[in-house]
Amino acid sequence: MILSKLKQALICLLAGRVTLPYPAKPHPPDEGFRGYPEVDVDKCIGCGACAAVCPARLIKIEDLDQTTRRITRLLERCIFCGRCAEVCPEDAITMTRQFELASDQARQDLTHQCEIFMATCRRCGACYQPATPLDRIMQPGFRSDEIDRGGDLCQYENVCLESQQAENTTATVGEGE
Amino acid sequence: MLEELCKKAFFKSLWLYHTNTGACNGCDIEVIDVLTPYYDAERFGIKLVGSPRHADVLICCGPVTRQVVPALKRLYEAVPDPKLVVAVGSCACGGGIWYDSYNIVGGVDTVLPVDYYIQGCPPRPEAILHGVAVALGLLDKQVAPEALRQLPDSSESVPIED
Amino acid sequence: MTAQELGASLQQTFGDKILQVNSPQPGRLYVTIDPDSVVEVAAHLQDDLGCRFVVNAGTDRRRQRGKFLITHFFAKDEDGIYIALHAEVDEDDPRIPSITPVVPAANWGEREFHDMVGVVPEGHPDPRRLVLADDWPEDLYPLRWDVEHGIKPPIADCTPERKPPPEGSSVVPIGPYFPALEEPAYFRIFVEGEEVVGADYRGFYNHRGIEKVGCSVLTYNQIPFIAERICGICGCVHSTCYCQAIEQAAGIEIPLRAKYLRTIMLELERIQSHLLWLGIAGHIIGFDTVLMQVWRMREPLMWLCERLTGNRKTYATNVIGGVRRDIEPDAYDDVRSVIKEIEREWQALYDSIPGDTTLMARLRGTGMLPKDMAIEHCAVGPTGRGSGVEIDVRVDHPYAAYDRLDVKKCVHDGCDNLARTLVRLDETLVSIGIIRQALDDIPEGPVLAEVSEDIPAGRQAISTVEAPRGEVFHWVLTGEDNRPERWRVRAPTYANLQVVPPMLAGSALADVPINIGSFDPCFSCTDRMEVLDINSGQLRTCSAEDLSNCRR
Repeated sequence: MILSKLKQALICLLAGRVTLPYPAKPHPPDEGFRGYPEVDVDKCIGCGACAAVCPARLIKIEDLDQTTRRITRLLERCIFCGRCAEVCPEDAITMTRQFELASDQARQDLTHQCEIFMATCRRCGACYQPATPLDRIMQPGFRSDEIDRGGDLCQYENVCLESQQAENTTATVGEGE
Repeated sequence: MLEELCKKAFFKSLWLYHTNTGACNGCDIEVIDVLTPYYDAERFGIKLVGSPRHADVLICCGPVTRQVVPALKRLYEAVPDPKLVVAVGSCACGGGIWYDSYNIVGGVDTVLPVDYYIQGCPPRPEAILHGVAVALGLLDKQVAPEALRQLPDSSESVPIED
Repeated sequence: MTAQELGASLQQTFGDKILQVNSPQPGRLYVTIDPDSVVEVAAHLQDDLGCRFVVNAGTDRRRQRGKFLITHFFAKDEDGIYIALHAEVDEDDPRIPSITPVVPAANWGEREFHDMVGVVPEGHPDPRRLVLADDWPEDLYPLRWDVEHGIKPPIADCTPERKPPPEGSSVVPIGPYFPALEEPAYFRIFVEGEEVVGADYRGFYNHRGIEKVGCSVLTYNQIPFIAERICGICGCVHSTCYCQAIEQAAGIEIPLRAKYLRTIMLELERIQSHLLWLGIAGHIIGFDTVLMQVWRMREPLMWLCERLTGNRKTYATNVIGGVRRDIEPDAYDDVRSVIKEIEREWQALYDSIPGDTTLMARLRGTGMLPKDMAIEHCAVGPTGRGSGVEIDVRVDHPYAAYDRLDVKKCVHDGCDNLARTLVRLDETLVSIGIIRQALDDIPEGPVLAEVSEDIPAGRQAISTVEAPRGEVFHWVLTGEDNRPERWRVRAPTYANLQVVPPMLAGSALADVPINIGSFDPCFSCTDRMEVLDINSGQLRTCSAEDLSNCRR
């Protein structure tokens, strides 16, 4: 009995004092920690890949008009899995090491909203992101009814991918008949 | 004024009563972790108590499930005034990954008035300590609506179907 | 005996009652039977073939087949076979004979499918509501496909149906709030003086509808993250188990390195969980030094997991096809030094426990769970192994990289709280050995397999993982729209908690917390209790202090 109590006392004594000085001194997590997901709005192309993979379904995408896409992230529900950062084609999302997210107004403080300027598809009128940076500069996204450049346009200019595919399918079906 | 009074009264010793409102246990364990040697919240006078009648702060972890709503309301009434409610974890803050499930009512703020939110899944013990320090007014909060995060009208709730 | 042979022998015994036998993967047998013969076949599996009942599931297949599918799962551990007994029930007459009278462990599962899909288990001895809230509408079954996952009927006041206490006994309700039980649970302990004469349980306070969310809104690759949040202590177990099930159904072979990485994370999680449990157990029996010191030992491990995966608990490493984050070879030494330190301290702790009369007085001879009771109620994990039941999924049904590593079953036959403690103490050391061996053997290579997007619908798979608390079981039936049609999860506590009421009978009231706690990290049943005086019907709340006064 006494021997085992001594052994236990030894365990406690050998450990010494271990308490960290946090919060007086910072105790940041190591590299690779998944903290607050920061979005570089300039890099975001509004493709919505993050919204498609997010398990907590907190990224909402709405098209306000034909050139503006609003992306809202309700980070009060975020589970910090980092899937959005993983799938982002432009690396616009980084999982930072910021973990001190306490707030008295979570809904305001942890909601991230951005509006992305998109091009407009001439066929279906939906927002889409032009394929290359050059296209992005060249196509400031006028509404389709404002554009009238005649018949010398290349076939798929100002047309979103879905419309292109739809058109191709129709063409093939037509030939088959 | 009440806030001032709270700060004065709470500054020396915060007694917590911890509730699991339907959590997965992750946050609960981190709350206990805050009391163990490495973080030792007791050095700030923070203590977990066994009865809501002794508590100043109600710590809620987890999304509020249908079954716990009546029990949670009774718990809140049992805590004497002035009292704080702290929601720990993304489930308690906003319903988390299952916010739209049939058996989840939502975050804790759908049932009780929440004073502080500590986000994280689960929050690190440091984040919980930080949250308590923010509640005590020792530290400033690190998150704020940036220009880009600004909502059109803060009084309006976020224009999103939930 | 292989799965095919078992299927053939069943066909021989039951003839036309067996409608279909199928064994698409080794060690898995899917048998479709006539619903009227389900009791007969289940009894044969349990009594004649020595199978262990695992769980049952109800699936709404009215869209595909116009029928409800009720499935009873059994395991034949010595041959490494899982058996699914499917029975299709007509949608106009959703009834099936209950197997609970012959297989007591099926009790909860049958009540659950009654709640969730509305198939009535006929002849069930205790057909009360189990999973859903008491005010949930009678005729609304959330797992039916035509019920929205987000349906929220108005909340109403309602009292649960309660089991009446035996004549002459008083009721001591415990719960529903324990700070860290798997599920906030509500026990009603029936006492005569200090002695417990019976118990009743009402749980599922944190039923979050995970299976419904997984099968109606999420996609295959989102589910691992919700699976991880089934349990915040052993989350990696659930995500691994789910990913394995989908990989098995889709025929995806994951890289060997990914298997090793999963093994390492699972074992780190086991050590973490056992350390946590020991601390909590110390707290329950009023020896807080154990809590403080053991959790101190545990903390470097949490930091290690944070370095390896990016989070202390919810590692989020598993996706279908492998793992997301590799462990760099530089980090191996980091892992080795952390587990070496834990091993040293654990050994010191181990040496000091057997001589400690305080601990022995609380643990030895309390919470007796005889071996036959453990087998009858199908207890799993350390709960079963503490009663001499030799089951361990890592050995019986190897998964991940366990078939290449030395895994020892840690079995004690004391049947009391001490035996369950010793099982966990031993297992921690075994886990440390497994991690060392895995780090030595781990091959180089990719960690994520290419996965083609389409997983064909209508395939099924069973996957199990040995969690720190016992066997975790996932059954998946793949479906359309890139999500499973049905995903059934059984956590080990689901099996183990069913043993609590019969086990508590005969013990002293003061031992109830540690008896419940010895199954699972539930601490502080002592935190808050309500004592109901049945004569006056008055409710009063008593605190931990009152309770400890009662103990003296």
